[in-house]
Amino acid sequence: MSIKSYQSEVYGDGEIIVHEGDDSREMYVIQSGAVVVTRSIDGKTVELAELERGNFFGEMSLLESIPRNATIRAVGETRLLVIKPGELLLKIRRNPTFALEMLQQMSLRIRRLNGRIVELFSDGEITAQTLRDMETIQIAPSQVRSEFSDPQIP
Amino acid sequence: MITSVSEERLLVVSDTHLGNPLFNARRGFTEFLRYAWSNSWNVCINGDGVDIVQTTIPRITRDLSECSSQLRHFSEHGLRVYYTVGNHDIVLENFLDDWDIVCVVPFLNVKSGDRRIRIEHGHLYDESFVNYPFIYHCATILGGVALKIHPRAYKMYSGVKPFFEGVGRFFKSSGPIDEEFADGERIKNEPYCFGPHAEEISQHGFDTVIFGHTHLEGEARLKSGAQYVNTGSWLFEPHYAEIDHGRVSLKRVSDLVLDETSGSRSVEKVGARSLAHAAD
Repeated sequence: MSIKSYQSEVYGDGEIIVHEGDDSREMYVIQSGAVVVTRSIDGKTVELAELERGNFFGEMSLLESIPRNATIRAVGETRLLVIKPGELLLKIRRNPTFALEMLQQMSLRIRRLNGRIVELFSDGEITAQTLRDMETIQIAPSQVRSEFSDPQIP
Repeated sequence: MITSVSEERLLVVSDTHLGNPLFNARRGFTEFLRYAWSNSWNVCINGDGVDIVQTTIPRITRDLSECSSQLRHFSEHGLRVYYTVGNHDIVLENFLDDWDIVCVVPFLNVKSGDRRIRIEHGHLYDESFVNYPFIYHCATILGGVALKIHPRAYKMYSGVKPFFEGVGRFFKSSGPIDEEFADGERIKNEPYCFGPHAEEISQHGFDTVIFGHTHLEGEARLKSGAQYVNTGSWLFEPHYAEIDHGRVSLKRVSDLVLDETSGSRSVEKVGARSLAHAAD
């Protein structure tokens, strides 16, 4: 099996790697340095997370073909391994542990988000109805219908 | 499932093949474990620690019971034992997990000092194991037959294997692998597939990649600049990797001898006395 080197990119301190709303589809693994994840909410820039060496980002745009939902900025000189959409399956084929690491990190992020939702609920910042709405959004029958576009499905 | 840990002091061994009659690692490995816990080292058994392919149930039971009594000391002293699963112990994964004295992991990302180290058995990168499982299984059985004849027969088999692999590579036109990683060093006699995969893993922000599986201990510098270590097996000359605050070094087990006369469990360095051979 032939093995090719992936492309690496180097960013300087403060340099923006991806912009919120961009249509780029690459996923990145942090080889050295760190990045900060920010998002614009009501005109304010909110810092969501800081990711260190070994972490990855950009997987949502790659997996779902959606625009970037956050801006990522380098913290110090940062070297990144770039995985393009067509390369992900090949990478997983060659290094199956990478898939497991991705699943683990995504599971961790879901757990943290769930924890945050529970905190907000406990603080009274969101209501039980909002929680129910969020669950409905995740499994909305209308979405299922549109995915399959089968008129026989009730 | 734990895959990421922080450890400042960790010893890594692989391919002890406990239960395999010709590896005879039981006594030596027991002593090694005693050295580790009495000197506050955590341990990672990097695959094929237990061999269920080339052994018998009475043999494996005897070997495991002796080692498990040593393994229990780790938790008593606030230390940990990690067990990454290899190809000779895949079916034992649940059993080992239920054993509750080792932490079974598929691989381990270790943060030590300011360095990141990947520990993995490496069988997933063995082209023969992944692409031709039936042939690999047959070869394993043949290897078992060679072991039954004499360990030296197995050594001869190991010696000629790279030659046949080289011939195979000559006829198989997979040139890019050689060109892409030509600048990286190789561990002597190791099949070509492992170095490039270690290289690829190192590109995920690792300073060192540690494999076992090949039974060929050695150290090499990858093209990316990362360190690549293979801890070999316990068949002839047992080795281990010592991770001390991020620094990784490959050492011989024979350089360790427990000083039991004083009862202090201190360790002294000696020449070439093999702990495994001395014990057996």
